Amino acid sequence: MVSERLRKIILNELKLDGFDLHDETTANQVPGWDSFNHINVILAVEKDYNIRFKGLEILKVKNIGELQKLVDSKLQ
Amino acid sequence: MLCFINFNHILQYIDFNKVQQLFVYDPTDQLFFSTSFFLFFFFALLIFYRIFSKKKNLKIYTIIFFSLFFYYKNSGYFFLLLFASTFINFYFGSWIFKAKTHWLKKFLFISVIIIDLGLLVYFKYTNFFIQIINGVASGNIQLLNIILPIGISFYTFKAMSYVIEIFIETMEPTNSLRDFVLYMYFFPNILAGPIDRAVAFLPQIAGEMTASKEDIGRAVFLIMSGLFKKAVIADYIGLNFVDRVFQVPLRFTGVENLLASYAYTIQLYCNFSGYTDMALGIAALLGFKLMDNFNIPFLATSVADYWRRWHISLSTWLLDYLFKPLQMSFRRMRIYGSALAIFITFLLVGFWHGANWTYLVFGLFHSTYLAVSLLTQKFRKAFYDKVHLTGTKFLKAFQIFITFHLLLITAIIFRSDSLRTARDVFHQIFRYFHGVVFFQWVEGYTQVFVLIMLGYILHFIPKSVDNKIKNIITASPVYVQAFLLALMILIVVQVESAQLQPVIYFNF
Repeated sequence: MVSERLRKIILNELKLDGFDLHDETTANQVPGWDSFNHINVILAVEKDYNIRFKGLEILKVKNIGELQKLVDSKLQ
Repeated sequence: MLCFINFNHILQYIDFNKVQQLFVYDPTDQLFFSTSFFLFFFFALLIFYRIFSKKKNLKIYTIIFFSLFFYYKNSGYFFLLLFASTFINFYFGSWIFKAKTHWLKKFLFISVIIIDLGLLVYFKYTNFFIQIINGVASGNIQLLNIILPIGISFYTFKAMSYVIEIFIETMEPTNSLRDFVLYMYFFPNILAGPIDRAVAFLPQIAGEMTASKEDIGRAVFLIMSGLFKKAVIADYIGLNFVDRVFQVPLRFTGVENLLASYAYTIQLYCNFSGYTDMALGIAALLGFKLMDNFNIPFLATSVADYWRRWHISLSTWLLDYLFKPLQMSFRRMRIYGSALAIFITFLLVGFWHGANWTYLVFGLFHSTYLAVSLLTQKFRKAFYDKVHLTGTKFLKAFQIFITFHLLLITAIIFRSDSLRTARDVFHQIFRYFHGVVFFQWVEGYTQVFVLIMLGYILHFIPKSVDNKIKNIITASPVYVQAFLLALMILIVVQVESAQLQPVIYFNF
């Protein structure tokens, strides 16, 4: 499940309103989430949760559900 | 009896030495898709493929055997290097997967990447570096006698995609050496791409490996259009016009230099995309779907857009395996980090094409275009909004026009043998234009002119029209398809003015 917090961070960063994000949603399905905005989204997530991803971990992430899992694993 | 005598009679006329020669590597007589021996070779393959249609193992070995022969015919004993590369990447792939600790994984991964790039750099760039060292330190190191193994840039990148995906855990290694050998040797894409990903190719071996009616229709269309683009348009305008101008640009007026640049741009497209079409068509007849490599590239509205449409298998390879990791590790620098990642990536795109200053400068131009475009994006958008141009057809046409001419500049550098030649071309265009010569040129080079126009028209045909033609061909009976192909081969044979031109991309 995508948490409300992660949803907010992403939509805020991409300046989107009320866009539905599911576990299976991938970046290219979300308007404005291109390879340049991608790093902004990742940086925003890192800042908000005060965590740091490794490059390889991020490259593996295929959809929002996996991003949520990665965030959760960092928080534990 | 009569038959027997006749047969003997015929045998007397066959020069067996010549026949034998056909099967031995000869650097002056290579086996490209548009040669008649290739047609014979491919028909033989299809017959075996058909005979073994129920036995998949035999089908796989048939392709492997033919692929080996194909590569040997084109590169001689360098097929041993391909052997080595295949085994190394196969075993490293499975070791990386099985490694227990992250450090071991990383060590194995870095080792195999060093081996892959080491071989590539040794064969491609050693002499270039020696020349630079000699130039800088005025040394006198002897150049080495290194021949570039054909297709090495392509199959090395294919092999690397396999180990990289295993390392980043987006695929698991195959247990079958046979399947991996087929992936690496697969003759349709071994010489000039597309650089197919293991992750997309290997599952196809597990599938049916048979061509459906749609595949056959698509294949006939692709082989026809490929042959026409490569052997008729590209070769003709190359031999009869572009080569002459770029040999000594100063002998021609600026308008001719400019026309040669337009001609070369479409020649390169027809040559490379024509070859790719043939590769896709041939693979489709064997029941394989290879990656698309082109999508109307000159319709791009920006240089970034162009790289999403031109040589897609290379640009996505670099995007996924080089640009994204770089961008991620520079992410704290925000937009400047992305610009830096772009700069490095496209400098390497230039270098990948070969060891020549022209390719490096070509890469430098593209790096600069893309980095500047990224850094000015916001400003330009604000400007277009302010003058109410955003979303208009005029703006789109303007962007296409500008992008095309930015690409034209790099095409001139790309085609020139040296930076001096490129400078001469620009000099003639800007200082010695003589526009009126255009009309004489059209008169003198009518056929070239018509073929250039035809090349651009074919290029701009929308995909939907392509698909309609494909559907018509798919729906027509087999003998009509065979007739169409035979007709195209006949046209090619008629037009082939002189020696066969190799695909420009073989040298990379």
